[in-house]
Amino acid sequence: MIFRILLYVGLALLLPGLAALGFSLWEGPAAWSLDARTFWGVPISLFVFWIGIAHAGTLISAILLALGVNLDRRTSLLAELTTLCALVVAAAFPLMHLGVVENFYMVIPFADARGSFANVRSPLVWDFCCIAVYAVLSLVYFAIHLLADRFQSLEDLRRPMAWLLFPLVLWVHTIVSLDFAATFVPNWQGAFFPLYFITGAIFSGLAMVNVLLVAEGCRVRLLEKLMLACSFVMLLFWGWIFALRGEWNFSVFAFAALLPQLWWVSSVRESAFGRLAISLSVLIGLWLERYYLVLPTNPETFGWVDAGLIAFSLGLFTTLLVFLRVKLRKPIEGGELVFGELDEKQAPVVEHHTEPLTSREFIVLRFPLLLGVLVALVYTLWAVASPAFETTAVGVPNVFPLFYPIVALVATIVLCARPAWNIGRGSRYLKIAFIVIATLFAFLAGMFYAGGSSTPSKFLTGVEIPAEGDSAVVPDSLHARAIWNARCSSCHGVDGKFNEKFIREFYPVPQKLTAERLDSLGEDSLVHVIMGGRANMNPYVDRITEAEARALVRYMRSLAPAHIPAPETNETAPETNETAPETNEAAPETNIPAASSDPQQTESLQQSSEVTQ
Amino acid sequence: MIPLMNAFACLLALAVTVFYWRSPLRIFKETVIIVGSLALFCVYSYFAGDMTDPQMQHYPFRMLALALCFSTTALPNKRRRYLLIAEVMWLWIEFFGGIALYYQGVDMPWTRILALAVSVLGSTFLSRISHEMEFALMAYWIAVWVFF
Repeated sequence: MIFRILLYVGLALLLPGLAALGFSLWEGPAAWSLDARTFWGVPISLFVFWIGIAHAGTLISAILLALGVNLDRRTSLLAELTTLCALVVAAAFPLMHLGVVENFYMVIPFADARGSFANVRSPLVWDFCCIAVYAVLSLVYFAIHLLADRFQSLEDLRRPMAWLLFPLVLWVHTIVSLDFAATFVPNWQGAFFPLYFITGAIFSGLAMVNVLLVAEGCRVRLLEKLMLACSFVMLLFWGWIFALRGEWNFSVFAFAALLPQLWWVSSVRESAFGRLAISLSVLIGLWLERYYLVLPTNPETFGWVDAGLIAFSLGLFTTLLVFLRVKLRKPIEGGELVFGELDEKQAPVVEHHTEPLTSREFIVLRFPLLLGVLVALVYTLWAVASPAFETTAVGVPNVFPLFYPIVALVATIVLCARPAWNIGRGSRYLKIAFIVIATLFAFLAGMFYAGGSSTPSKFLTGVEIPAEGDSAVVPDSLHARAIWNARCSSCHGVDGKFNEKFIREFYPVPQKLTAERLDSLGEDSLVHVIMGGRANMNPYVDRITEAEARALVRYMRSLAPAHIPAPETNETAPETNETAPETNEAAPETNIPAASSDPQQTESLQQSSEVTQ
Repeated sequence: MIPLMNAFACLLALAVTVFYWRSPLRIFKETVIIVGSLALFCVYSYFAGDMTDPQMQHYPFRMLALALCFSTTALPNKRRRYLLIAEVMWLWIEFFGGIALYYQGVDMPWTRILALAVSVLGSTFLSRISHEMEFALMAYWIAVWVFF
């Protein structure tokens, strides 16, 4: 009955939320309210909120298992299911936030057929890699847990998998925290952010699992105690932020620190309604915390799209969770297992001394881990030495955040290969499933490697594009606009003022293009840049003619205003850039296209690089 | 922060470990003690350091990690496991805190990070943790704190 009610509530939130989602995808970042200083809005606050819940689900299950704390099977499965559903919800928001959803594959840190390589200096690239690996491993962990009843060999994989997930879950939320800490926004500069975010994630995850336990009609006292402990730690973090920056938010404090103290009152904690109210209060408080963090100037234009996106996230999560919970009722509840029953057999207490690196977990994990480390090292060396970074300074701190996710992914594949083979050998369905997954993976990898279409389409541009062979004809401004919209606008913007959302988070922020600057540099040098490419700009020499490039330059000139005043939001950037090791200011001097061998051309490109960067 | 106050911070971290992990272990008691010591570290950092220095942003949390490292030497069971976890936590705070500061223009503390990484790697090979080894580990951590 409770699941049916939750399903209706979920659908009631999801359906209107879908309208907001569709409008947001159609309109882009202009659809929702944006903070004037951070350029971020509700989607990112929702992303951080849901990813926190997603991390805590597996964290509760895996870390407790790894540390030998017993949790019953049903609670841990519920936590793992929460992780998967929350991950689906969380993944939607960074995609929407890009503004160029179809170009999302550009954040995959691997070279494509054109030689492009994602900017590994961007935390967005780290996010994609870490969260994708985390999603895969969480799914595998959940599947192992579900199937462990039927296949005994899978039970032996749970602890090693928990040990792999233990650091990964902390790693991923640390990377999410660096999305903030690695920016120039003063409110977000905090070297303590990794710990702060991890604690917040655990706190919100515990609250969500407690809400679900109330829906299941059960309670786990350990989780309630952990919630109370988390409220103390979060209070301390807020106190430290107050000491550092004088920021204090009473509503967050009231919802997430003050009200949880009601756990001390026995009549409240013994009542299902009381437990539900406290857990919901924590969730509201932590969402508000993320909201005020992402939008520090607190814009007054909180519109229907923002509310719709919140409804969408709640609706999608609830619907998905209830649907899966009902579908998986049998394996989750099991024939005999009930709440409170231990998840696995108690290991015998070993009194004698255990030699280092000889426990079974170490032996099982050692080879996969070493292989993972080897692959990650090779990847790191290859990525840093990639030709794409010849003109861009990339250091170990830029690539290292990808290290452990690669280790964990490789280790999991190696760890699960033999049991999966043994199980799959006897089942036709599993063989088919494996072939389908492998084919799908190969297809997606091929699509990524090929990259997006480089042909301007009528659908995108609204005008007919001349066929190949007409290149001798000097294109008119309509044709130039078509090429611009198809090839340039995803970064430079349809109006030539940049796609702020895309550029700011992928690449160093380029300089504004004014008519004065364009005139001073001249058409020829700009044509060279378009044809030869630059650090983060693909060369177009094989894809457009020189006449088209000239038409593009003229079209760009027509878009450029005479003078662009410095935006207020960049006031802090010069101060911080002075000491930064990889500043945007330094990029124009170093970003000379590698393709130019002619000294004259190089000189002109050095000049023009100031414009296009 | 001046070196003398930095050394005092190390002593303070050592002093509070007296209260950690005293039996009977209770989740509230341990949480309150850790949160209380962290609050003490925050207050100490606030008054002893220059809060405009970006490196102070995670100073109390580094102190907590150091205190947790010290405290693991007194654990009765599974010392190597928890010693490793505490060391990794310290390394974690240093490394990812360092990345956050790196993007603010502060150099990564590579010497400290490497020293801690060596300590983590070496600790995985520890067999019995004798009193001499406890002393050596504590001396090593103090050296990392004070000199690196």
